Amino acid sequence: MAPSKTSQPTQSNAVLSLWKAYNENTSTRLKSVDAFLVFLMLSGIAQFLYCILVTNYPFNAFLAGFASCVGQFVLTASLRAQVNPQNRSEFKEVSPERAFADFALGSIVLHFFVYNFLG
Amino acid sequence: MTATTAYQVPANLSPTTVANTSSLLRIVALALISGAAIASRLFAVINFESIIHEFDPWFNYRATKVLASEGFYAFWNWFDPTAWYPLGRVVGGTIYPGLMATSGVIYSALRAVHLPVDIRNICVLLAPGFSALTAWATYMFTKEMKDESAGLLAAAFIGIVPGYISRSVAGSYDNEAIAIFLLMFTFFAWIKAMKTGSAFFGTIAALFYFYMVAAWGGYAFITNMIPLHALALILMGRYSSRLYVGYSSWYAVGTLASMQVPFVGFQPVRTSEHMAALGVFGLLQIIAFAELVRSHVSSKQFQTLLFASVIGLGLLGTAAIVGLTYKGWIAPWTGRFYSLWDTGYAKKYIPIIASVSEHQPTAWPSFFMDLQFLIFLFPAGVILCFKQLRDEHVFVIIYAIVASYFAGVMVRLMLTLTPVVCVTAAIAFSTLLDTYLNPEEPEAIDEAPKPEASTSAVAPDTSSAPTKKQKKAAPPPAGSTLAELVTKAPGTSKRKTGVFGLDTRLLVVANAIGMLVFFVWHCTWVTSNAYSSPSVVLASSNPDGSQHIIDDFREAYYWLRQNTAEDAVVMSWWDYGYQIAGMADRPTLVDNNTWNNTHIATVGKAMSSSEEVAYPILRKHDVDYVLVIFGGLIGYSGDDINKFLWMVRIAQGVWPDEIQEPNYFTRTGEYRVDDQAPQTMKDSLMYKMSYYRFAELFGGNQPTDRVRGQQVPKTGPTLDYLDEAFTSENWIVRIYQVKKEDPLGRDLKTANAFEQGKKRKRTKPSPRRKAIA
Amino acid sequence: MLLLHFLALFALPLCLAAVPKDAQSIQEELVKLARANNGVIKLDDRTYDMLTSPKRTWSAAVQLTALDPRRRCAPCKDFDPSFKEVGRAWSGVAAEQRDSHFFATLDFDHAMTVFQKLGIQSAPIVHVYPAADGPRKPANGRTAPSTYDFSFGFEAGPLAEQLSHHTPVPIPYKAPFNWSRWGGIAASGVILIAALRFVGPILQWKWTWALGTVLTSLVMTSGYMFTRIRGAPWTGGNGQWIAPGYQNQFGQETQVVAMIYGLLASAFLMLTVVTPYTSSPSRQKAQVYLWSIVIFIMYSVLLSLFRVKNKGYPFKLLL
Repeated sequence: MAPSKTSQPTQSNAVLSLWKAYNENTSTRLKSVDAFLVFLMLSGIAQFLYCILVTNYPFNAFLAGFASCVGQFVLTASLRAQVNPQNRSEFKEVSPERAFADFALGSIVLHFFVYNFLG
Repeated sequence: MTATTAYQVPANLSPTTVANTSSLLRIVALALISGAAIASRLFAVINFESIIHEFDPWFNYRATKVLASEGFYAFWNWFDPTAWYPLGRVVGGTIYPGLMATSGVIYSALRAVHLPVDIRNICVLLAPGFSALTAWATYMFTKEMKDESAGLLAAAFIGIVPGYISRSVAGSYDNEAIAIFLLMFTFFAWIKAMKTGSAFFGTIAALFYFYMVAAWGGYAFITNMIPLHALALILMGRYSSRLYVGYSSWYAVGTLASMQVPFVGFQPVRTSEHMAALGVFGLLQIIAFAELVRSHVSSKQFQTLLFASVIGLGLLGTAAIVGLTYKGWIAPWTGRFYSLWDTGYAKKYIPIIASVSEHQPTAWPSFFMDLQFLIFLFPAGVILCFKQLRDEHVFVIIYAIVASYFAGVMVRLMLTLTPVVCVTAAIAFSTLLDTYLNPEEPEAIDEAPKPEASTSAVAPDTSSAPTKKQKKAAPPPAGSTLAELVTKAPGTSKRKTGVFGLDTRLLVVANAIGMLVFFVWHCTWVTSNAYSSPSVVLASSNPDGSQHIIDDFREAYYWLRQNTAEDAVVMSWWDYGYQIAGMADRPTLVDNNTWNNTHIATVGKAMSSSEEVAYPILRKHDVDYVLVIFGGLIGYSGDDINKFLWMVRIAQGVWPDEIQEPNYFTRTGEYRVDDQAPQTMKDSLMYKMSYYRFAELFGGNQPTDRVRGQQVPKTGPTLDYLDEAFTSENWIVRIYQVKKEDPLGRDLKTANAFEQGKKRKRTKPSPRRKAIA
Repeated sequence: MLLLHFLALFALPLCLAAVPKDAQSIQEELVKLARANNGVIKLDDRTYDMLTSPKRTWSAAVQLTALDPRRRCAPCKDFDPSFKEVGRAWSGVAAEQRDSHFFATLDFDHAMTVFQKLGIQSAPIVHVYPAADGPRKPANGRTAPSTYDFSFGFEAGPLAEQLSHHTPVPIPYKAPFNWSRWGGIAASGVILIAALRFVGPILQWKWTWALGTVLTSLVMTSGYMFTRIRGAPWTGGNGQWIAPGYQNQFGQETQVVAMIYGLLASAFLMLTVVTPYTSSPSRQKAQVYLWSIVIFIMYSVLLSLFRVKNKGYPFKLLL
């Protein structure tokens, strides 16, 4: 399954072509959402590394912070999926405005629990 | 149209009239179902009085009283020093507070509108009230599966089915009272979230999941059912963005919310029961990302690479979880859940779990008694789900098979089987009625079959929803007078299907109505006879047929309450701990929480050892009174002598060289209480306390133990270290007071012997006097 | 006279031979006997008294059994291999610990007097004798034998675990690798993968899964797990196939009840799904009547079966 040496340039080619296709085919709105997603992911990774390498005390604070990153990430990813015009056929009952309202409600509830758990 | 009908359908009805009438009928039906659900749970209150039943509810009631009288903060931080004397119990951190919080909220709300309802009545009537809500939640759930008519049937079924009533009668103030409502509503919210792909429903599902985690330990069922459903959909190739949105929003918010309950704490990230949900969450993220990448890339080679890397990452994740479990960072399955898979585990290693009568496996009469005709409609409903096999039907199928296994293994889990049986049976029954109430007749075989494009009709008393979203619910074109028939299956065959003739319809519908009526009779009979006993108060019938109430338990507990010091410690077997704490209001050594096995084993050792061995244990724990339940006089078979072997087994688990179970059996291996009983049995404290002065009741005749059916010796046991303090009217509850140490320093046995006139044997010969010469 | 007394002195060595040997030499003899028989001493009257002498510094686990076919003791034959396994595992321990605990077996036909003396009326029984003297004597002074109770069955694993409470070091018993079980699993896995091309479409057809699901749930709701956990027999004696009592059932009941449920469910499905597709009105009518009558009759049968189990049930249909 691992690509051989000769397909390495093909692989990097594939990654480049993927990046090009992504850049061309995605609207600016979705790209800003994607940037936020990348930020959340980096933030979550940083917290996780801190927990493993430095200390996991207090554990509930770590969990609250990490869960807020993860939760916000999935909510934003869900928003992105619902707003993406390519997915219109799948989300018949959820208009983009409704998607944003759901996103807002979910985030509020999530952060309420995060705040409670931070301790 | 040209279609013939078996019976006349009213013409000239506009669709809006039909829609409005059917909504009104539905609302009325739901209200009547709620009324029936509440009413059928009130037998115990009418027959006896408004009292809390059984054992566990007494503790919940006590906790609720603390909440109502002292407020939420005191309840949250409550440390109870009178339970598990001298250890005490941190109540705030070791309970599921959902039930008490619900009662507290209702209590405060009613008081805010100046309706001073007593907290006891709120606790007693909470379960019936929530059962009406469960019926509504089941209606909503089944509506997603099929349509509103199936929903109504499911609501009616779950409103009166004995399997659910047994744990939610008025007075059964236990976690299941609200948990089943929360279960069905969480499942409904999950199905809605998955169907619409809306994060709103996902958040609702998470919130009600949080409420469920706060309410019942069985929340682990939801924690594993939803991931199992998601995994099944992925394996079937039905991954979609809606599934991603629904599951991720539920998991992210729900897991964080569930960790707010102190009793649950960090378990969702540290124990095996929750790892399935985490694993499926990770898998969904990987698959979503792969789908996103795939939509941008067309190269086939890249796609196969992607597919392989998804599978590889999935396997890697699973291996990581397994490895962490091995290393111990993730706790393995706890005994309570592990014993569901390895059924011999509990009897060997955790005898306390194995001894509870609710944890025994289920024989088939229990299934039939609790579900009646629903149990054979259940497979028919599952087949119909397979026929349609939308995403939500996969959930019902998985739920069905998992629940039937668990219900077979443990009687208590019949409760989780009941909702899915109601849902599937309702689907089957509703499909039957749809087929046979539909007035349209098909064309006979001699006529040329005409391909039907879209004909749909709404019969007056069934309401149906369009099976395809493309079918408009708007009013049909003005030309048609009849409303339109709904086609049965999504893929309509060219030939029309249907039922000929009015007599066939009448026969089947009459049969169906007959079965429904029979179901109602059965449920009412079972509820009033089997499940409405408070078990604190027993009822039997006199020879002339009138009811004879046996109120020994309350008599004894109130004797304790009124005649003993406030800090007098009472020792009894753990079954009665909550009741003693609730009604007699005295400290107890062990109670139904059974969190400390060694403490229970200590009590077991005291009960099964001789007086000399038990007395130091009693004194060490400051025990003032010992309470035993004895049913030999009136034939009450739930007494302590019947439970005695479990006491021995549990004690043997901790002190295997002092207590051995075979010593309590005769040579031939029988369990006897008559003169063939082995000496260890006759010397044990439990035997002595049960049969002390029992023979005196029979006035010289042979005393007989009505439960064991054996004749106990005429000379009963004697007690040196205990005094009989109280025996209830039918000798069911016997209370003994522990004597203090002898002031002269003798051991109590010789002190007693002295009192009875026996001289102590001298150990040294008396010195001979020598005459002084 | 004096000569007679003097000559009697020569009998002293003979007396010494007849004097009961001290504990040390008894122990050596027992060690030899154990080694001769794979770690389990075959006892007779004399060696039994030696093993359980009140001066013993060793502990012992004695199996009282009756292996002769005339005695027809099936549990004895079930248990004997487990005991021998544990005894053999024990013989692998270092000599110093091994020689202070013995495994022995006493057959009824070789030592009837011992059985009579102990008043044993059933077999097999395992007695555990703690040391009566010396450093291993129990602190509470109880030197009477305790009985091993077979609540965990006749398996060697639990036996080793329980007896390890009484031995100086835990018995190093390892259950033998279950070749047949793992071999069977591996073989079936290989066959499945090889036949995947043929089996694949069957597995992907949803009605396979439907059949499996329905069969499983039918079997489970007919009380199959009850019979498995409680080890209920297929039928009771005297051709009685219905177990008395409400919370009790035999294996055959599971089958009968599952079949009744299955028949009723199929009748409903026939009425709902199949008969509407019949095109001839008369045939359809006959089908409807047939299935309705089948439902009515099978339901009555089920109810009468339930009335046998639950005597107080007041309702009945036909029977």
